[in-house]
This record gives sequence, C-alpha cells and structure tokens, in this order.
Amino acid sequence: MLKIATTRNHERMSTQDLLLMIESAVRDGETDFDISASGQHNIGGAVWNLEGKTLKFHITNAGQRVGSMCLPNTEIIVEGSTSADVGWLNAGGIITVKGDAGDTAGHCSSGGKIYIGGRAGTRTGSLMKHDPLYEEPELWILKNVGSFSFEFMGGGRAVICGVDCENFSSVTGERPCVGMVSGVVYVRGQISDFPEDILCLELDSDDISFLKGGMNHFLNAIEKSELIAELSDWKEWKKLRPLTFEEKKPPIVHNIADFRKKDWIKGGIFHNVATDDFIVLNTVNRGLYRLRVPSWDNEKFSAPCQFMCPTGIPTQKRLNLLRQGKIDEALKLILKYTPFPSSICGTLCPNPCMEGCTRGKIDESIQIGALGLESARVEVEPPKILTGKRVGIIGGGVAGLSAAWQLVLMGHSVTVFDDAAQIGGKLAQVIPHSRISPELIKSEVNRVEKLGVTFKSNCKVDFEMFKAICEEFDAVLVATGGNKARYFNWEGAEKLIHGIEFLKSINRGEEVQIGKNIVVIGGGNSGMDVATSAYEQGAEKVIVVDVMKPAAFEKEIRRLKNFGGEIIYPFMTKKITDEGIFSDDGRFIAADMVIVSIGEAPVLNFLPEVKKFRDWLVTDDKKMILPKVFAAGDVIKPGRLTDAIGDARITAIAIDKYLRGEKISLPAKKIRVPDENLSKKYFEKCHHCDLPDPMHEHLRCVSCGTCRDCKMCLNSCPEKAISRIEHDDGSWEYISDENKCIGCGICAGVCPCGVWNLSDNPEEIHMYRTYTAS
Amino acid sequence: METIRVQDISANDLPWKIEYNAERCTMCGSCVASCTFKAIKVDVQRKSMTFSQENQPEPVHIQKSIPVIKQIAEINNACRGCGMCERVCPNNAIRAVRNPDNRRNLLFNRPIKRGGRTNLNAQRTLDKIIVGRISQMTDPSLDAQRHTFDIRSPLGRILSPKELPFAISDGKLVANKKIPPVRWIYPLIFSDMSIGALSTRAWEAVALAAAYLNEKCGLPVRMSSGEGGMPVPLMESEYLKYFIIQIASGHFGWNRIIKSMPKMKVDPAGILIKIGQGAKPGDGGLLQAEKVAPHVQAIRGVPKATLSSPPNHQGLYSIEESVQKMHLSLNAAFGFRIPVAIKCAASSTSVSVYNNLLRDPYKICGGFFIDGIQGGTGAANEISLDHTGHPIVSKIRDCYLAAVEQGSQGQIPLYGGGGIGLTGNAAADAFKMICLGANGVFCGKILIQLLGCVGNEQGRCNACNTGKCPTGICTQNPRLVKRLDVDRGAQRIVDYVLAFDAEFRKLMAPIGNSSLPVGRSDALVSTDKAIAEKLGIQYVC
Ligand code: SF4
Ligand code: SF4
Ligand code: SF4
Ligand code: SF4
Ligand code: SF4
Repeated sequence: MLKIATTRNHERMSTQDLLLMIESAVRDGETDFDISASGQHNIGGAVWNLEGKTLKFHITNAGQRVGSMCLPNTEIIVEGSTSADVGWLNAGGIITVKGDAGDTAGHCSSGGKIYIGGRAGTRTGSLMKHDPLYEEPELWILKNVGSFSFEFMGGGRAVICGVDCENFSSVTGERPCVGMVSGVVYVRGQISDFPEDILCLELDSDDISFLKGGMNHFLNAIEKSELIAELSDWKEWKKLRPLTFEEKKPPIVHNIADFRKKDWIKGGIFHNVATDDFIVLNTVNRGLYRLRVPSWDNEKFSAPCQFMCPTGIPTQKRLNLLRQGKIDEALKLILKYTPFPSSICGTLCPNPCMEGCTRGKIDESIQIGALGLESARVEVEPPKILTGKRVGIIGGGVAGLSAAWQLVLMGHSVTVFDDAAQIGGKLAQVIPHSRISPELIKSEVNRVEKLGVTFKSNCKVDFEMFKAICEEFDAVLVATGGNKARYFNWEGAEKLIHGIEFLKSINRGEEVQIGKNIVVIGGGNSGMDVATSAYEQGAEKVIVVDVMKPAAFEKEIRRLKNFGGEIIYPFMTKKITDEGIFSDDGRFIAADMVIVSIGEAPVLNFLPEVKKFRDWLVTDDKKMILPKVFAAGDVIKPGRLTDAIGDARITAIAIDKYLRGEKISLPAKKIRVPDENLSKKYFEKCHHCDLPDPMHEHLRCVSCGTCRDCKMCLNSCPEKAISRIEHDDGSWEYISDENKCIGCGICAGVCPCGVWNLSDNPEEIHMYRTYTAS
Repeated sequence: METIRVQDISANDLPWKIEYNAERCTMCGSCVASCTFKAIKVDVQRKSMTFSQENQPEPVHIQKSIPVIKQIAEINNACRGCGMCERVCPNNAIRAVRNPDNRRNLLFNRPIKRGGRTNLNAQRTLDKIIVGRISQMTDPSLDAQRHTFDIRSPLGRILSPKELPFAISDGKLVANKKIPPVRWIYPLIFSDMSIGALSTRAWEAVALAAAYLNEKCGLPVRMSSGEGGMPVPLMESEYLKYFIIQIASGHFGWNRIIKSMPKMKVDPAGILIKIGQGAKPGDGGLLQAEKVAPHVQAIRGVPKATLSSPPNHQGLYSIEESVQKMHLSLNAAFGFRIPVAIKCAASSTSVSVYNNLLRDPYKICGGFFIDGIQGGTGAANEISLDHTGHPIVSKIRDCYLAAVEQGSQGQIPLYGGGGIGLTGNAAADAFKMICLGANGVFCGKILIQLLGCVGNEQGRCNACNTGKCPTGICTQNPRLVKRLDVDRGAQRIVDYVLAFDAEFRKLMAPIGNSSLPVGRSDALVSTDKAIAEKLGIQYVC
C-alpha cells in the first residue's frame, strides 16, 4: 500500500507530479494506493500492472476525471463527493463514488462499472457506448441526475434509484436521452420531458434480474445496503430505451389532402361564392375544359377573288366544281351572277378579282377572265316556276340587262325599254369593236332575250310613258346609265366633240368627220377608246391630256401608244379655240379637233321630282327612288361594267323581295378571308409557261375560305376528332367531336383554305357567382 | 420570294424565342393546346428543293409541305417563357429561350403592365452577408436537431417594463390598466396576396397550409389576407385565429368582414393596415378587369371593372392621422383585443415613420411592416416595378438602430419583407434580417412559387395581371384555376416551412442562440465593404 499525501507544508503536489508518481509506483509493482488528493485530475486512469494484478485506489478529495480511461482490473473508491467527469472514457474499471458526482459522470464510458452514492450532475451518462467484444458498461446512481443526461447514449445500462428525490418533478432532469440510440436507463421515480423516440417501459424479467443482480453490489459499494428493500419494489421502476432502428417511425408524412377533407371547412372557404370540385385538370383537355375550340367555317369568308369582284362572283366555287369534275355546273355557276361572263369577265373587265387573287401572291393570279370566256356559249334553263309578276326596266345597258337576267331567273316576267335600235347600252353602242367583237356581245345579249326577257328597242321613255310603265308593271327599274357627255365651262366648250357621241356613231357604222391632229380631254379608259378610235378613223396624231396621271388601264394606254399616241398631264384645260387647246399655265397644243371624254351624266328628264346628288339618282336603303321604282347602275354612280352588274344583281334581289312582299334587306358582303389563315406553303410557284389552261386552274387555286375537300385536317388531327360527313346532295361537312378534340388548332394550321378556325372556348364554366347559394 | 418590311415585328424582337425541333415533333398538339398566351400556332412549312442525283446535272425537284409549330410574332401574343409547352411536350421538341436582343420595351405602344418582382433591381444584399460568428470555443454551439428553440416573434405593442401597468393587490401582481394585446407568432408571415389577385384555389392553398402548420406542426404561422377581403366561411370558422385581416386604401371586402363580426367564433390574429407596397410604392392595389370574376365582385362589393385602389387611404391626411385614426378604429373594431399593425413601402423616410410610431403616446401600433423593392405584386406598371422602391435590408437595420438609440427596440415589432426567399432560401434571408434587427419577415411571392408559379426576376412569365396565368394561381379563369392542385400546393408550402424551420435552427444553433437572435448583428459579417459599413457589421474577405 502506497499512501500518498498530496499536500505538505501547504505545498500542493501538481496533477502531473502525482500521476507520474503513481505511474512509476505501478511500474515498480505497487497495486494499492491510498491517496489523499487535493483536487488532482485523472487519478486512477490509464495505468496497469504488468502482471495483470488488480490496482486499487482509495481516494479522498479527488479532482475531475477520476478514473478516466480506467482499464479493467482497476478499482477506485472515492470517499465523499467528486467533481466532473467521473469515469470519463472508463474502459473497464470499477469506480465507486460514495457521495455525489459532478457533471458528465460516466461520459463516454464503455466498460466497467461506476457507482455513485449520491446525485450526478448534468449530462451524466452522455455518449456511453457498448463495444460488443466486451461487457457493457454500467452506471449506478443512488439519487438523481441533472438535465440533458444520457445524450447520444449508444450502449450500456444506467440505473437511477431516485432516493431522496421527493421534491423533484423529474429524477432525470429536463430532456434526458436526447439523441440516445441504444442502451437502457432504469429509473425509479418521476421522469419527464424525454424525446419522442425514447420509450418509457415497464421492466421485464431480464431487467429485474439485472437490477436484482447488481443492486446488492451497488449498495454494498456505496455502503447503503439498508436500502435494498426500498429499492426492490420493481413496480416503482421504469426503463427508458430508444426505439431501435427498426422500430423508428418513418418521418411523419404530412397529408394535407386528408386534412382538407376531414378538418378543413367543408366545401372549402369559398363555397359560398364558388362551386369547386377540387378536381385538378391537366394542361391539355377535351370538351368543356379545352382552352380553345375549332370551328369549320366553310364559306363563312369570301375568297379574295369574290371579295374584290364587284359582281361578287364566287370563282373559288367554280374552281371547286372543276376540281370535282363538275364542268357543266362550274361553267353555269357564273351565269347566276352575270349574263356577260365572256364579254365582260372574259373581255372588258379589268378583273379586280385577279388583282386580289391569293394565287397572285404565289406566282400568277388564276386566269379568271379567261375562265369567263369558257361560259360564252353555255345555255341556261329558264325557271320552272313563274311568279306572274311583271317588271319594267328602263334602259337596256349592262345594268338593265343584268337585272333583267336575274329577275327572269327568279321567275318574274321582264320587259326592257331602250331608246336605241340595238339593245346593249354602252357595251354595244360605245365600246370600240376593236376591243370586243360585236358578235360576242350579241350572243350574250341574245342569251338574255332567249331566257325570256322582252326587249322594247327604239323606245324612248318620256315622262308620260314612265307614268304608264309605272302603272302597268308591278315594279320598275331605272337603269338608263349615263349618256350625256360631261365637261366644264371652258371657254370655247361649244367647239368640243363629245366622246360618247363620237364612239356611238362609229359603232353605228356612220361616216365620222375626223381631223388630223386630235386632242382628247380625259385619260380614262373611255378617253383611250376615243383616242384609239380616232386613229382608226384616220387621225394622224392624237394627244390625250388629263389633269392628273391617266386612270386608264395599262393595257389601254399601251394600245394608244402603239398607235403613236401621246399623253400629257397634268394639263388643266383653259380654253378651246379653232387652233387647238390652251392650258391654264399657258401651254398650247395645236389641234383641229378636241374631243372631251371625262365621263357621262345621266339624262333623267322622264322622271318626276326625285332625290339626286348632282346629276345622279340617290336610292334609299332598299334601292328605291320612288314607290315601286328602283334604280341601278351608272344612273346612281358612274362605275365600271362589273360595278353595274353587281349593283343590278343586288337591286334585282331587292326587287324580288319587294315583289314577293318580303322585307327588303340587301345581302351583306362577306368578310374577306384573312390571308394569314391560308396555308399558301402547300403551293409551289409555277413557271409562267407551265400555267394550265383556264379549265385546269383548279390545280393552282388555293380555294380561299372554301373547303377543297383535301382531307388534310381529317388526317392531321392528332386526336382523330374530325370526321367527314357526306350529305345526300353530294355536299360534305367536316365536324370535330368535342369529346375528342383538345383544341390544338392543328386543323386550323394545316387547312390550306382557312376553313378551320380556332377561337377561345366560348362555353362558360359556372364556377363563380356573386350570390350565396342556399 | 419571302420577304418582310424592316418594321414588321418578328420573333427575334420578342423577349422569348421558341426553339423548335421539327424532326422530333410528332404534331401531338399538346404545346399549342396548353399555351395560355396563344404564343404559338400550327403552321405549314414548305420544304422544296431541286437537286441532282445523277453523275451529271440532272435536276430533280421535291416539294414537301409539313406542319410545324411556329411562334406568333405579335407583341400581344408574345411568348412569356412560362415553359408549359416544354413541360408538356413528350418529345423535347419545343422550348422557349430568353432573347437578350429583344426589343420589347421599344415595341410596346403603351405602358407595360405586369406582375412579379422588379427585374432590374434583383441584386442581393443578403447574399453578401454571412453568418460569420460561429466559434465553438467562445460560444458553444447548440445542437440544431435536439435542442429546443424558441422561434417566436411578438405581434403587438410591447410595453417597456416600467410602463407595464402593474400594481400589487393582496400580495399579487395585477394589471390595473389594459395591456396592449401581443401575440407570439412564427417569425415568417404569409403576406398579403389578395383574393382576386390570387385565384380561389391559390388563396385557399396558402390558407390551408397556414392552418395545417398551426394545427398539425405546432408552428404559429399567420397569413395576412391581402386587401381583397376575407372568405366568409373562413371568418365564421375557428381557423380565423390564424389570419391577419388587411385593410388597404380600397377597403375592399370590409362590408363582409364587418357583417361577419357577430358570427366570429374567435378573433383574427391581427389587423394589418396597408399603406403601401414595396413593389410599387405610391401606387394603390391594381386588379385588372380580366380577374374581377363574380366571386371577386361579391367579396369586394364591386362590379367587373379594373379595380385601382387609390394611392392613399382617402381619410388620412397626415402620419399622425394614419396612426391615430386607422389604428384606433381597427383596435376598437375588435374590442382592443387584437394587435393592429401597419405596413408601408420602404422609403428614405421609414425611420422617421418608425420613430413617430414609437413616440405615439397611446401605444396603439402593434407592428411596423416594411416592404422592400423586391416584393412581388399581381399587377403594376413595369416602370414602378423596375424603377421605384427601396431596398429592405438597410432599412430594417436603420429602424432597429433608431429604436435602440432610444432604448425602445422591440416595442413595436419590426417585420421586413420584399424579396425574402428570392433565391430560394427564405430561412437564410430571415435569419440575417432578424440578426439585423427584424423581429420577423413576411413573404408572398415565394409562396406562389411553391404553389407552382414559374415567374421569376429574369422576366419569366410575370403575366399575373393578364388573367392568363398558366398555373392557375393568378387568374380567375376556371379553365386555368382548375389546373391548380390545392392539396399539392399547400403541401409544398407546408414542407417548405418545415424545412425553413429546420434550417432556421441550423443557423440559430451554431451561433448558440436558442431564442431569436433579434439584433445580433455580431453574428453577421459581410464580404462587401460598403454593406458592412452601412449595416455596422464586420467586413471580411
Ligand atoms: S386562289 Fe382561287 S379562291 Fe383564292 S382568290 Fe384566287 S381564284 Fe379565288
Ligand atoms: S386538330 Fe383535332 S384536336 Fe386539334 S383542334 Fe382540330 S379537331 Fe381539335
Ligand atoms: S383541310 Fe382540306 S378538307 Fe379540311 S377543311 Fe381545309 S380544305 Fe377542307
Ligand atoms: S413558353 Fe409559355 S408562353 Fe411561350 S409558347 Fe410555351 S407555353 Fe406559350
Ligand atoms: S408538344 Fe412537342 S411533339 Fe407535340 S406538337 Fe408540340 S412540339 Fe410537337
């Protein structure tokens, strides 16, 4: 036995000196120590006898870490209390503290036994571990432990006997066993505040036998064997152990859907103003929930050709019929709109339809004029049902004949009155034969007559006769056109030759007096007709003057130039003399004949007082000027031939309605198909020399706004939502099934003709309301 | 010949360009069917070519017309980059790419309106600040997972100890005057997105998440209603206690709020008087007519029209009046039982305003909410979003230090918002704001981003004002609203807030704070000298 007193003459031995002294004594074979310490640290630890004998330490007044890193075969008895870290990293020693232990008692011990005869401080038993090769560590405490004990404990057993703890709400302090993953803590007394992953259980027989087995040793060691009975009522004990890895609950899964269904306000917090099923839609839907819906708008829009044509001829339909091989129908269709497909569409018309033609944006416009010529000899069946109503038409020009044609087709009987010998108005009387053959005109005029129109030529209608006509007929149409040359009050205006009379007499085959040098005032198409006719009649030089750039078509100007004619503009006529013509800026052109051709005004002396604008008639919104009297054509407004045909057609519709006693409403013009709706990319440019003949132009026509039955949509729809339905009359229809359609608009995108259109889904979803539903 | 005029608008003028791969596309139509902005359409493209395949020139011609997806080159149908087409495309054939050369601002023929946040001032002070004082030697760190943390902020007027009206009576401490109400709440407030700005489903998802976090997760998160009123069934339920009711200059929805008072089973969590908004200071709320659906008309008591709130509360003419009249009326409305706070856009004058509130002798203001320039909005003029406002970070700091100077810090809780969570981590932002002196933070945009909003500060989507929100969050179009899954949306928010809570502790623990480190600016350092100097924290590099 080596007795060590660590103070001598008030000198305290340092921890280092004491530990070195112990170590050298142990090396020398000493096994028994009685140390009267004065707070030195680490006494009793990390020393061993070379022969494996047990080392014994009896210590008073020990400092921190008594028995730290203690090896097996070490026994330490501490009299009284000790400070922190008793048995720190104890690897096998038996350490007895008879009084209280400080904080962190048994911290990280993984072997041996530690007996505390009083209380132990905070974090006691933290990080105790069990090395499976060796016995598990034990930590026995008579009374209680401080807060946060057994943190991160990984093995071993701790026993807290709860003696003398009546005033504590917990013998384990606050928050014991936080982070504990293994081992057991036996507790007698109140426990609170342990974490959720720690179980607090009753003892089982193994536990009891462990406690029974150990309790005597413990109590003997701390010299409290009298407590054995008090501490052996196992019903007063509990044990704390962590959930095993397997037992650990998976992390809480938050289920909001469940919460909403069970605990949340029924029907949702907006149920008073909204009807919501809480069903979640995908971004792509069918039926009601599609963002957009397609519509098959066949013929809803007019093709540019039709739109631009003042007569409104639907050339797209003619070409569609050709595409279907219905040649006859195709050629007849135009005759529903005009009696002059070849003389006007095919010959005289400037073809505004072609100007608008979509195909023109690809290569060259469809040859619509030439197509008109194909209908020259086509005959039309007279109507089967006659109305018995009679219409008198005053004026056998283009407007009058067109209206007559329409009205006869509608089943009325029509008489046309004209003062000329030859029916046909300007078409027959004024337009030079060099521009159109009189036979062509005659054949088309004859077709009108053949259909059943009665012609009264050489019949000048005066006021009286007009009254009589009005009485005799159920409706009257004034279509006398413009036949009085217009000109201004220039000095010498009486010397002017009137272009219209000049042309009329040429067409009548009369001998016309012609000068050598001619000036024609007016650069419109009729001015060109006058000028070229003058050349044809033997003039040497013809100069056309105009106040602005001539409005005549390129073709007509070229014709004049081919004759050697000249055009001068701007030229404001000031006076006409026998020598020629002066402009207001002093220019002079020598001429022995000055012909004026700046337009014609109507002669309306046969009419009673009617509304007029300058020289022209003004119709009301029903195309009427007087009760039962209608007006159409140049008598209202000077225009092109096709304007007169179109106006006559509309007026005929008005007259027909009038005769049938229906409300007169003029047909509204369809909107032109938006160009961007047409897929022109299908159509490849065609070289001029590869242009088909007019009867094969359907190969090039886009069929703007009208379904060409190409089936692109049918085959492209990704949802197979589109079907083609054929009707008994051979017509067809494409429909999209809303239960399949997703509103993608592929149909609209691929349709060459702009027939499919996509728009926002108009169907309302009644989800929200302003009122509270009961 | 295909040609254009130089002034025609083309896709390369627009902020987003569609990148499309015709080889991959199977023409399923999903992208076009999904795009709410009509920014793409189906078109036909011609592939025509003359080539030769003989060993001498022997022209052969092919022509193919194939359907393709094409971007619509119109300013009103400009792609917003929302990415729905990309998400829905089964073939990875389409996506929108940002076009840095766009000329959008030049081509608009009217002031640009949009939602979202500022796209110009998205710089981040908070990212230049680091939690830099973590020293296990001097301040032992706590264990974030295992320790208990007190993460609660006051909402309500805190009296200084000497002002507490306590007296001793019969040996007990009793209050001899009414003490202003204070609620201890979670320092992250769901802020101010109105019914109307949000769809019914989106608003409900946020509300549901707030309720769930309280009921099932023990986090006393509060949600502010926004200025569009409150749903009546919610006001009549027990959940009302989690909601802060807002009143803004338009006073929308207050008829129903007042009518509900007798039927309220519990008090609301508080009242927030909104004076201004960080995203567009000086502007009142704006709700475009497209979004004023019947239920919005009902709750707000207005017809279908574009609803602009006036820039100011009409009855308030001075700061004193703002404090007294509004606070008094709203305190009185609920029997002085619930805290009444005020929210202003951050401004150069915020400190004066805060001082004024602190000096108020009636102690009637229960919180000062300052909203910075990076806050979001449902609709604003872009010029306001991008060119007006005031950053929040130094503002919170200035207000806090002003209070410290008078020894009155903490008496009127300071809440900062505007860009919290802008880069995704709201916990870090909140922590830094709190260390600088905030008692808590409020956030809105990030909540709808959690619901599924794809908008961001780089001009993506930001179509909140159009009624065409592709995610069903900021629209009242049933076809779009029904795209939003309330449960999944709320779940995201709940999960995020739980992660926020864990991450927040992950910052509290290392600096050794188990309660909110309000004003613990010593915990922060900055890598930016100017920021460090301005905020009075250590500069490090
Ligand atoms: S392409 Fe055909 S339908 Fe179109 S405008 Fe020309 S002729 Fe008419
Ligand atoms: S292509 Fe088919 S699915 Fe797409 S919009 Fe047309 S019909 Fe509907
Ligand atoms: S795609 Fe062809 S078939 Fe279909 S609507 Fe257009 S023209 Fe008719
Ligand atoms: S990114 Fe959005 S807006 Fe742009 S095309 Fe795709 S779905 Fe439409
Ligand atoms: S979703 Fe993809 S595959 Fe389908 S049409 Fe659009 S780009 Fe093509």
